[in-house]
Amino acid sequence: MITVYKREMNAYFYSPVAYSIIAVFMVLVGLFFWVYNLLYASTDFSRALSMTSTYLTFIMPILTMKLLSDERRNGTEVLLRTSPVPMWKVVLGKYFASLTLYAIMLALTAIYPILMTFMTDDGVPTAKTFGGYVAFFLLGATYLAISLFASSFTESQVVAAISGIVVLLVLYYMQSIGASIGGKFGAVLQWLSPLRRYSDFSLGGFNFASLFFYVSFSAMMVFFTILNVERRRWQ
Amino acid sequence: MIEIRNLTKKYGQFMALDDVSFDVKKGEILGFLGPNGAGKSTTMNILTGYIPCTSGTVKVGGYEIMEEPAKVKRQIGYLPELPPLYMDMTVDEYLKFMFEMKKVPLARRKAQMDDILYLVKIGDIKKRLIKNLSKGYKQRVGFAQALVGNPPVLVLDEPTVGLDPGQIVEIRKLISSLRHDHTIILSTHILSEVSAVCSSVVMINHGRIAASGSVSDFTASEGSVNKFLISVVGNKNTIQKVISDVNGVRNVTFLRVDKDASIFSVESGKGVDIRRPLFNELARASLPIIELKPEGRSLEEIFIDIVNNDKNGESSRYAADAKEGRK
Repeated sequence: MITVYKREMNAYFYSPVAYSIIAVFMVLVGLFFWVYNLLYASTDFSRALSMTSTYLTFIMPILTMKLLSDERRNGTEVLLRTSPVPMWKVVLGKYFASLTLYAIMLALTAIYPILMTFMTDDGVPTAKTFGGYVAFFLLGATYLAISLFASSFTESQVVAAISGIVVLLVLYYMQSIGASIGGKFGAVLQWLSPLRRYSDFSLGGFNFASLFFYVSFSAMMVFFTILNVERRRWQ
Repeated sequence: MIEIRNLTKKYGQFMALDDVSFDVKKGEILGFLGPNGAGKSTTMNILTGYIPCTSGTVKVGGYEIMEEPAKVKRQIGYLPELPPLYMDMTVDEYLKFMFEMKKVPLARRKAQMDDILYLVKIGDIKKRLIKNLSKGYKQRVGFAQALVGNPPVLVLDEPTVGLDPGQIVEIRKLISSLRHDHTIILSTHILSEVSAVCSSVVMINHGRIAASGSVSDFTASEGSVNKFLISVVGNKNTIQKVISDVNGVRNVTFLRVDKDASIFSVESGKGVDIRRPLFNELARASLPIIELKPEGRSLEEIFIDIVNNDKNGESSRYAADAKEGRK
């Protein structure tokens, strides 16, 4: 698992993908920092993060698009499948690599709240900022797992990215869709929306049930990815 | 070393492999022959654990592939038709990655790495990106990958396809040099490759075994006769008469005239060597022999015969599809 993880980390930084994604991400965060913190003169960084979280819908599938599809296209899948390492370890290694890249991106943004502590006398609201980061990380981790699952269906990176984005967009509007349908089914859809629980953390609180929701949602998606990869072998 | 029993693989209604069984003994180089689409790659993919079979068993070193896949996979080095390379890695990064994937003990990696780089002759390109290598070098890096972990069994799927003649000779030399401590299955449709390196042959056609045996069994002349081709300078009819009078000759057939020589096919009973009396009699008649060579069947001829004889197999293989439609 660590072998695959290391390879994927190297692959990220050998290609321009990681750098350009990080750049785009930093521009977005910087933009919202400027609008919500500097223009409104607020020390609450979680607002800027929460605005950025919308764009994770597009960024996360790009991080995962080549992880599984490229192995199929290049024929290197044979290598993985005929090595003594079981496929579930391969998939986990890949997921954790994308998660690490995401954590690195997120860590880079810490420069803004740190800057603000020097700019104000009142200081930065610690619980809210920290909660904002936890919420942002959990949401991103779930999105990564979902887009990894999407990339396990195809050998084309483009298809992987687009299908990931479509699924995430549907999830993004899940709450409104659920609300407009109403009834029990609508309630289930709303319950499934990963965004609904975002504010459980970003307002400075901590909700164990929501933490469990994000972690188990991600775990389930990674599990489905493994199943899908294994299933294809039998076709 | 390798035991394949009643192997069957279906893709929908299509029988890719139909009841294939064969053994490969330790230290043997088995040539795995067949036309395109015969099921060679499918067999190799099952043997290496890449895809599962529909039914049947594959045992490598006593372990069954479906029951103990990790143990089987550790014993096999596999070079698929398309070398499975990560284009964004350098050669040594890639091989290090493979050492880790195959869980080779740390202490052995350095020495083995040097051995492999030397054997496959890629030492001078180890710092280069795989993406930028020529096809020949890519093939060698793929070969190097199969050698990682020094597996006792090597499965090579058309290892010389697309290489230039010099490279082909080198790869063949490499395969021959590995024969001492490896069991090798070599799939190919280049028949001279089989005669060059293999000790035994399995021919597969339409998913079934069409023939198998040692290379010499295959190429030995058929039935109870020895056949020679002989070219002699002189009068055609005189030559024919002289040859037919030689003791032990059963049949002489005139084939054609080549410049001033006439070419005949001469048959004798098995176990009778007619070459010396043939020479003596023709010399006595002052008819010089230009060429004399045994006429065994080439692997090509046998191959084409088998493929043609098995045409009926094709209709039965698709019969189910015609009724039910292919999936």
